[in-house]
Amino acid sequence: MTTAPQSGGLATIAVEGLTKRYRGGGGVTDVSLEVRPGEVFGFLGPNGAGKSTTIRLLLDLIRPDAGTIRVFGLDIRTQGVAARRRIGYLPGDLSLYPRLTPRELLTHFSHLRGGLAWNGIAALADRFDLELDRPIRALSKGNRQKVGLVQALMGDPDLLLLDEPTSGLDPIVQHQVHDVIREAATEGRTVFLSSHVLSEVAQVATRVGLIRDGRVVSIEQVEHLRGRSVHLVEVILAGGSERPPWSNIEGVTVVDEQGATVHLEVSGSIDPLVAALARCRLADLTVREPDLEELFLSFYEQRT
Amino acid sequence: MTGRGSRSVSLRSVFGRTFREEGHALVGWVVGLVLYGATMLAMYPTVRGNKDFAKLLDSYPKALKTLFAITDYTSGPGYLRAEVFSLLGPLLLIIFAVLWGGDLTAGEEERGTIDLLLANPISRRRVVIEKWLAMVAGVAVATTSLGLTLGLGAPLVHLSVTWAELGAAVVATVLLAILFGTVALAVGAGTGRRGVARGSAAALAVTAYLLSSLSELVTWLRHARPASPWYHAIGVDPLRNGFLVAHLAVLVAVALVFLVAAVVLFERRDLAT
Repeated sequence: MTTAPQSGGLATIAVEGLTKRYRGGGGVTDVSLEVRPGEVFGFLGPNGAGKSTTIRLLLDLIRPDAGTIRVFGLDIRTQGVAARRRIGYLPGDLSLYPRLTPRELLTHFSHLRGGLAWNGIAALADRFDLELDRPIRALSKGNRQKVGLVQALMGDPDLLLLDEPTSGLDPIVQHQVHDVIREAATEGRTVFLSSHVLSEVAQVATRVGLIRDGRVVSIEQVEHLRGRSVHLVEVILAGGSERPPWSNIEGVTVVDEQGATVHLEVSGSIDPLVAALARCRLADLTVREPDLEELFLSFYEQRT
Repeated sequence: MTGRGSRSVSLRSVFGRTFREEGHALVGWVVGLVLYGATMLAMYPTVRGNKDFAKLLDSYPKALKTLFAITDYTSGPGYLRAEVFSLLGPLLLIIFAVLWGGDLTAGEEERGTIDLLLANPISRRRVVIEKWLAMVAGVAVATTSLGLTLGLGAPLVHLSVTWAELGAAVVATVLLAILFGTVALAVGAGTGRRGVARGSAAALAVTAYLLSSLSELVTWLRHARPASPWYHAIGVDPLRNGFLVAHLAVLVAVALVFLVAAVVLFERRDLAT
């Protein structure tokens, strides 16, 4: 499934018919996608859907059974070194050299990338409040993830491949990561971000590819994704409260009603429901986004 | 304050970092080899001054003497050949090289660090070659420490051996150990598994040793002797015959063949997660 290019010029990532199967199952099948310069492309799918496989294929760490991969127009199989000079990568399953300190690891990688200025690296480390001089083996999971982020971001690479970048981070740092991603896009750099969290992708991405069981189910503009997503609402009415005529409210479907507890599904705007609830007395109210499975189901239903 | 980057020279290349990571182990090996060399020297005065001991050795069956390289045992080179360079010295250095060689790429795969390393703009070939060079340097340092111990300590126990004789034995041992270390590297590069790499290289080293030493005794094995690296390094007796360029060249050539194999195998593979 290919989406039409949004503008002219060379795609940052151009993947065509990419297939990689593993003997034990898993992998990706016939993946085609294009990511344009300056785009934040979200790659959304459950664990084991093939997100990491795709990213490792993009880096030439593993080789496809079929299909082509071009990054900056370069064939990743034959011109991988030139392509990787412009890529920053954060692995989903991050392993660092435990005996080195972050300062040593970052220095080492900056040399392998042709000698990056320390100032920029130091600024990133400061921004994430990263402790530079304790051995990595003594760092918490969150701090290791920060080391991974800083090494991916240092040198301002033209393309960021971030595999589950916020896993293991506390909400404040997650927020910082989202800021960094948005800034990169503002500067015209490209971000390819994998996640199994819908809200994360919805917050930072401009376009989203949905992947499940190794296949790209759909590629959508993020507004479209948000627009078609439903809210799941749980209302618990207080004793003696007025009971609104649920099915008359625009966009509301009753899923389940037991005593004072009502489960509703709201498509489109949530505003009519909120207006109706304003006249009631509530004991509790929960609004949540559908999880990934529910989202994928809605796409499958649409296609069949 | 975040200050500046680390000044450490060892962080400028994969070679440097690999050498540094194994630094503690290398220091341990050097200490061990120095002690081993010193112990062997300390035992020499007992052997040299003891006529009965010489007689006893003379009375050994010829096969046994051949197997353990016991000829002119009481001379300096003869003693060092029998006690150090015929088996235990090279064996220790082969173990060192095989442990390290098997870890070079396969260790990074098993520990999961290879992803981050190769996401940098460096080729797999460069990684293999730099890591191999680190092992080569480590083996050279370790073997040289043994050679220096023997050379510097020899006058103290009135063991007469020249630097040229010692040097020839050290170089042959270095090349022998590097060869089997490179076998371990190649198997590790092809499989991504340290255990398989170390095990198969060790098995090959033992088999080659048996071939070389038994061929001294068993006539029909004689023709097969050149197939064993041990023959080219130790069997040709560098302590007596000095630098035998043709034999050393065989060791270098075989090591390079395995290095090329390591590069080719590593470049073709899907790296483990």
